[in-house]
Amino acid sequence: MEIEIEQECIKIDKQLNSLDRFVIDFSEILNKLNIKYVFVSGYVSIIFGRNRSSEDIDLIIEKIDLQKFSALWNELVKKFECIITEDKKNAYEEYLLNNHSIRFSEKGKFVPNMEVKFPKTELDLWSLKNSVKTFLNNNLIFISKIELQIPFKLFLGSDKDFEDAKFLYEIFKEKIDNNLLNEFNEKLKTKQIFTKICR
Amino acid sequence: MQVKIPNIDLKELEEQKKINLKERLEFIKLYAEWIKKKSNKEWSSQQAKIVD
Repeated sequence: MEIEIEQECIKIDKQLNSLDRFVIDFSEILNKLNIKYVFVSGYVSIIFGRNRSSEDIDLIIEKIDLQKFSALWNELVKKFECIITEDKKNAYEEYLLNNHSIRFSEKGKFVPNMEVKFPKTELDLWSLKNSVKTFLNNNLIFISKIELQIPFKLFLGSDKDFEDAKFLYEIFKEKIDNNLLNEFNEKLKTKQIFTKICR
Repeated sequence: MQVKIPNIDLKELEEQKKINLKERLEFIKLYAEWIKKKSNKEWSSQQAKIVD
């Protein structure tokens, strides 16, 4: 496996799968509009080779105003459709501002879909602020720090989450910031489960 | 005719669940080791077949 990790930046070239292409197309619009975002949860392990698919990809975007959201919506609907509501104001006011997510899929498809939400917790804000610049086949995307992803997956606690955490740890164990990982394990009270699952 | 439901030992099932997870985690460790040894081209072409 060839991954370049330099100064908080990851570079990886691989044969892209349909989820990767979906993520790249979506990110391209966010990058173009200068909207901060971060991919979290399952897709982070899929980028690096976890052999599973996913119905939804979790994406946190910075809290933007209606005008900026409107610009985002107008760009997105050229290629994607919102499967929750067709009304952009409704999507913004009734969903995003009320801490609910909205979902976009490629036109005519239901899955996979991009689950888009504003940050709801301090941890979401931290993920956004400390996102990792990642070049996937030279396409810029931002992903959550691995040192947070592993404990957070352990915190979520399903078998699938444990497997994702184990996979990320095995791939990154020589490259990870162990102090940061331990700190998140402390905060999320996942130290014991980390030892059991990952070590 | 009434369908007869077998006796269910929840403790046994919980135990089996734990064993299955342990086996999956061992497999994931092996898979991650395999990925690390292979070129991106090789593992990602196999991944694409699963995901797509």
